[in-house]
Amino acid sequence: MLQNELFNNVIQDLNAGYWELYVDPDREIWSEKFYTNIGFQRVEVEENIDYFLSHLIHKEDIDLFRDNFLNYRKNSIDFKQHIKILTKDGSYKLFRCATNQELPVNIKSEVLLIFFIEIKLEPEQDISKDNFYYKETAQMTATGSWYVDFHNRKSYWDFETRRILEYPDDYIPSLKDSASYYTEDCRQQAADLFFNCAMAGTPFNTEIKMVTANGRIFWVKAIGKPVYNESKEIIGIRGVFQDIDEVKSKELRLERSLEIIASQNSRLFNFAHIVSHNLRSHTSNLSLLVQLIEDVENPDEKIGLINEIKEISSSLNTTIEHLNEIVAIHTNKDQEKKIVKFQDALNIVTNGIGQMISLSNTQIITDFTRLNEISYIPAYLESILLNLITNAIKYKHPDRDPIIAIKAYEEEGSNYLKVSDNGRGIDMKLFKDKIFGMYKTFHYNKDAVGIGLFLTKNQIESLDGSISVESEVDKGTTFLIEF
Amino acid sequence: MSQIGLACIIDDDNMYVNLVKRIVEAKKLCKNLMIFQNGMEALEYFEALLNNLEKKCIPEIIFLDLNMPIMDGWEFLENFTKIENKLGKTITLYIVSSSINPVDIERAKQSNTVKDYLIKPVTIHDLESIFLNPAS
Repeated sequence: MLQNELFNNVIQDLNAGYWELYVDPDREIWSEKFYTNIGFQRVEVEENIDYFLSHLIHKEDIDLFRDNFLNYRKNSIDFKQHIKILTKDGSYKLFRCATNQELPVNIKSEVLLIFFIEIKLEPEQDISKDNFYYKETAQMTATGSWYVDFHNRKSYWDFETRRILEYPDDYIPSLKDSASYYTEDCRQQAADLFFNCAMAGTPFNTEIKMVTANGRIFWVKAIGKPVYNESKEIIGIRGVFQDIDEVKSKELRLERSLEIIASQNSRLFNFAHIVSHNLRSHTSNLSLLVQLIEDVENPDEKIGLINEIKEISSSLNTTIEHLNEIVAIHTNKDQEKKIVKFQDALNIVTNGIGQMISLSNTQIITDFTRLNEISYIPAYLESILLNLITNAIKYKHPDRDPIIAIKAYEEEGSNYLKVSDNGRGIDMKLFKDKIFGMYKTFHYNKDAVGIGLFLTKNQIESLDGSISVESEVDKGTTFLIEF
Repeated sequence: MSQIGLACIIDDDNMYVNLVKRIVEAKKLCKNLMIFQNGMEALEYFEALLNNLEKKCIPEIIFLDLNMPIMDGWEFLENFTKIENKLGKTITLYIVSSSINPVDIERAKQSNTVKDYLIKPVTIHDLESIFLNPAS
């Protein structure tokens, strides 16, 4: 019997059965738990080594166990082995069999003991199952794992990392090449993250663009954390990364749509204000006029006032025409683009306003050598040129004849049109924000309507382009259009 | 009850200005009416007055439009506020605009110079009560 209570408790926690080995005469006492584990009652079996070897132990294990047992009993040589023992239901159960010296417990017993610790699952099967689930998870979530070992200056990839990055299974990743796994614009980001993790132990969790062996660029979510040794030094970085290209692309598309919607929304809002304001000014005049008509008694005066209605009606019409033009821009933008030669569009414009050009002695200098045509809605290009040219003539400098320089060119993949004049210029400090506004005029000209540049800007923007302006009073104005 | 001597309209809408002018004449609301097409014209007039102060050339009431070319109502107001005190006469300023934008209305309320914000169309009755009782 075991007297040591502590030892007893330990053995209970181990859930292990055991044999106590006595001498003179040689006999073994099997513990309660030993019986429980194999399912037999004490009376059903004989409690000795011979019966055990002939009836209970799996025949594969007989020889080794007998040798071990006898060596232990006679020479006190400790042993441990795996052993399969018959159970009541006829199947064999696997046990880890060990003497008390081999137990991971620092308590010794007076008598010799052999423990039989049940192994619930066969170890090989267990690992292969885990491995299966791990592979499945990695593949289903497209998650690769990697490890960078600072000590050996090596990096390790799992199978999924190689698959995602389209490298062959026998590819050995190299620390030297590590920058090339990221896109050029993300290399600095990657370097910063790794450096911070390696030096300061800062873990990271970020989104970054990577490049496969075949040059395909895709988005990943990259997570990494430092690995410490026992002396708390960072000896490596371990991490996973997940292919999130599909999600990220959707997110980016969504962001872009949101931007477009926001800008359209603000244009609509602006337009609503313009409509409200411009129509209100006429309706309020009309209402004031009606009040006046009601108020005056003299019939002649009344008739005179009624004539004023004509004027209000005509300016109301003009306003509505302007508003129609703006609406038309947004409905027309789906019109078919065609290849338009700048010279052709310009010819149409200058023919239309030939008289204005010759009367004002305007000189137009063109340079379409670097870019002579673009794909655009022809009517828009003509309208843009018409507005910019007539503006230049209308606001010419009083002391000199207008010279308009028109130049088209390509730069860094974008097409530009530049229209410069030598006119009186616009005071940019005062009018910078208003130049492209509706009904904004900056000069005392009688025929300044303030709709031209507003339309031009809307036409350009409806086709995803932009227009900017530079100007200096008394020097001239330059409009730059990016198509 | 004394008739207003001089009133001033700063507005680029000729039709509106003409109509107000007719009402003022018909109702004999004031002796003289000054018209400026935009803020710049009006500001130039007031700045010139500073050098040659003549009380009878200073209007008692200003009707200021907001949306105007060259210099809009806000810009005029900003400049006018700076010189208002030097004119040595109480001037009542109304903003008269067709803008119903709450931002504009709130902004006008913030200004000490602005007496009130009138949304076009104004009525004959509005004009009468303003001219007959400008300070109330």
